[in-house]
This record gives sequence, structure tokens and C-alpha cells, in this order.
Amino acid sequence: MNREYEIGFIINPESSDEEVKKITDNIETLLKKGKATIENVDEWGRKKLAYPIDKHSEGIYFFYKTMAPGDIINSIERRLKLSEQVMRFIILRLDDKLKKTNRLEKKWKRIDKFIKKREEERQEAAASVENEVKEEATNE
Amino acid sequence: MNRPGKPASRTHKKQYFSKRKYCSFCKDRVRLIDYKNTSVLGNYIMETGKILPARVSGTCSYHQKQLSKAIKRARHMALIKFVESKRG
Repeated sequence: MNREYEIGFIINPESSDEEVKKITDNIETLLKKGKATIENVDEWGRKKLAYPIDKHSEGIYFFYKTMAPGDIINSIERRLKLSEQVMRFIILRLDDKLKKTNRLEKKWKRIDKFIKKREEERQEAAASVENEVKEEATNE
Repeated sequence: MNRPGKPASRTHKKQYFSKRKYCSFCKDRVRLIDYKNTSVLGNYIMETGKILPARVSGTCSYHQKQLSKAIKRARHMALIKFVESKRG
């Protein structure tokens, strides 16, 4: 059962390019072994952190979006926790929680209906104004 | 008691704007608030870094919950500060 996940992590800025590549290759091979598809890789590169972490003010950001089974995500989480170069990480599940969005859609339907009504009223008002103007013109 | 729609302490907080008429996320039909776009999230935090209450920003309850979760995730990933000290 593949579900959609998002994995983001920050790497120590003082690590060399090889080490950075090592970490990303590690994660990608883990994902491929578990028959997960990588949909998107977002590389932000070096970015200034909002507050210092481990006395560093910059970090290298990576974000992955995948469809993966749950046990692979467990092993990725452990790998990220134990790695010394990774300073922070976050793993999110991106499934659409159907119950909650139903309420949103109902709300938006109501809003759309209301907007339609308003437009129809305006058009009727505009049409009636035009008719009045025409009558005045013909009377004169 | 305060009238509905007015924030409780008007004198203390520097940032005070009233968008109480509509939820700007519902207006744009946003389903998922992403924790990564700090430009959008930055409109809903005070100068001190605190999250704005819904009665000030005008967001509906569904989006306010998503927004607070997104801000907390962004704080964890060092995209937004936890606290900003007052200047002066």
C-alpha cells in the first residue's frame, strides 16, 4: 500500500559535497529498494536559518515527495536520526483527509451559489435599468 | 466587555489589522497550506513571532488549525523564528 509522503531535512553546511551526495544516494537507494516512486526532489541549497542550530547559521535543504510503503519510511526515519550530518528532518503524510475536506467543499458550494444569485440579481437590475432608459428615449 | 470583532488589547500589540470579514484562504479556495512558503505564513504572525488569533486575521476554523500546524512545522525546520525580541 503506497501512500504519499514528504521528507525534508537540513544538512550541516560544513559537510563536503561527497558527504551530501552520500546521504541523498543512501535515501534514494532505500526508497528504490522498497519499490517507492520518487515524484519530486526539491533542492534549496544553502539557506540562512531563522535561528542557529548547533551553532551554525546556514543549512542545506532537501525535500522529497514519494509514494512509499510505511515500513520504508520507518527505516528512513531511523537513518536520518542516526546520521551525524543531518541536523533536522521532518516526514509528513500527504493523504487527503476526506472527512474534513467535505465540509470545505460544502462551504464553497454555498458561497458559489450565493455569488451566482447576486450576479443574476445584478443582471436583472441592469436589464431593467436599460429597459427604463429605452422607454424614456422612445417617449421623448 | 469588548465588542465582537475587536481585539482585546489594542494598545499593547503593535501589529493590528482587521481582516474580519472573510477568510482569505477560503476566498482563494486553498485546500492545503504548505509550511514551506514563508511569504504566505509571514502574514499571519505578529512582530514578536506569535501566531495571530483567528478573530484578528479573519480565517475560518478549518484554515486556522491548518495554519497553526504549518507555522509550527516551519518553526521546527528553521524557516520562521520562534520568538523575535522587541527592538529598543
